Amino acid sequence: MSSADAVVLSGVEHSYGDVTAVGPISLSVPSGEFLVLVGASGCGKSTLLRLIAGFEQPTAGTVLAAGVPPVPGRGAGLVFQQPRLFPWRTVGGNIAMALRYAGQTPTTARIEALLERVGLQDVAKRRTWQISGGQQQRVAIARALAVDNPLLLLDEPFAALDALTRERLQEDLRRVSAETGRTCVFVTHSVDEAVFLGSRVVVLTPRPGRIALDLPIDLPRTGIDPEELRGRPAFAAARTQVGAAVRHPGVFA
Amino acid sequence: MAVAPSATLASPRRKRRILLRLVALVVLYGLWEIAARTTRNPTFIPSPGAVWHQLIVTSTVHGGIRGYSGHLLIEHLGVSLRRILIGSAIGVAGGLVLGLIMGTVTWFRVVTEPVVTFVRALPPLAYFSLFIIWFGIDETPKLWLLSIAALPPVAVATAAAVLGAPTGLVEAARALGAGKWQAVRDVVLPHALPEIFTGVRIAVGVAYSSVVAAETINGVPGIGGMVRDAQRYSQTDVVVLGLFAIGLSGLLIDALLQIAEKRLIPWRGRA
Repeated sequence: MSSADAVVLSGVEHSYGDVTAVGPISLSVPSGEFLVLVGASGCGKSTLLRLIAGFEQPTAGTVLAAGVPPVPGRGAGLVFQQPRLFPWRTVGGNIAMALRYAGQTPTTARIEALLERVGLQDVAKRRTWQISGGQQQRVAIARALAVDNPLLLLDEPFAALDALTRERLQEDLRRVSAETGRTCVFVTHSVDEAVFLGSRVVVLTPRPGRIALDLPIDLPRTGIDPEELRGRPAFAAARTQVGAAVRHPGVFA
Repeated sequence: MAVAPSATLASPRRKRRILLRLVALVVLYGLWEIAARTTRNPTFIPSPGAVWHQLIVTSTVHGGIRGYSGHLLIEHLGVSLRRILIGSAIGVAGGLVLGLIMGTVTWFRVVTEPVVTFVRALPPLAYFSLFIIWFGIDETPKLWLLSIAALPPVAVATAAAVLGAPTGLVEAARALGAGKWQAVRDVVLPHALPEIFTGVRIAVGVAYSSVVAAETINGVPGIGGMVRDAQRYSQTDVVVLGLFAIGLSGLLIDALLQIAEKRLIPWRGRA
């Protein structure tokens, strides 16, 4: 374990009653890495993310984020599968809440800049139900990025969106994560999404979730067109490898 | 926009509804008139004309007599509305605090829930006698009665709404760094507002129906006191006039509450 590790899991296990959902898993996430956790439904990948967020406590082993046991709302932004925006606040109001909890002053300029970073303009005064599902998820990402947390955790954030919107958001998230240099842990069941987004992909076995494959993705993070990226031989090779591991977990274990 | 076609569709339907209501009112008026003429007993069924006449008599100073029992109709109504307003306000505030604690502190809910349900089941007139013994016959027991009657609906609605707080949104707030009480203030309470507002409307309704009971003793001025006196002297036309005053002002207040609800809680049904 080095001090540059944003997240360190050592021998982590988590059980619900008699059922072991996760582990044991040991894993270090260096700062600035975009780690994607992939696996079939029920492999405990969301549980793993909740452990890193501090919403769950491991039944065995230790979880450290920035060197300390994680506490919700400290040091990590979180994006869920549903946008979970607060409908009693405007779009801008939702962002302002994040800033206020962090003891910062939410100014209009600041909120506009945060929304612009996720590709949104002129929505700050709208009601949350007046914008599309894709826009809502963009707001959720902007809200999670509002405070300068070193870590961004995303739990299948694009799963509920249509294919076209999903692709756009993937491209934007890839760009934003490179721009902000944040460590990201992203959970998905989509192989394509994992290889496209991740600088490293970890495949989990079905229950209990253990590491089936740990694969660095050697593709440029910036200055490349998404179409070109998807056309690279390295992309196709990684996709094949991750796909095989997801479909036949254990082969590579 | 999506609103335009539904609006054009809705407006003739709305016109028809208004028309239907007007027709129903005219029919009702006709039936009343017929009933009054056939029974020929104004003490049993006063005619619409007699009630109208009483409206003018009770609203004016005539031959040195001011309205009814020395107060104009509007003054009777005003005093009653003031009692309803104060009683509801205290009841709603108490119910809100009580419901909030009931919804968040388990042992408190276990202790208070049966008590609130017990009080809710009592007809307000039943505990009015107790308040008379404790507080006399002036303003105090009346306000107590209305407050206690208005409290349970708000407490029950608030507690239920707070208990039903969406874990997903609370978690989202916690993930943004909200503490426990910040999450209550910024998520649980606003999420509960629509239900609380329904509780408030019920509470005001209960206060309304209790005010006549509260004014059975030393209720003049007051619309309930006026009705009570009129009943004693068999002035049925004044009794009916009082009923109209209570009912119509009640409709008006509920309409105002509904408008307030739309403005204060635009997210109702959206979350």
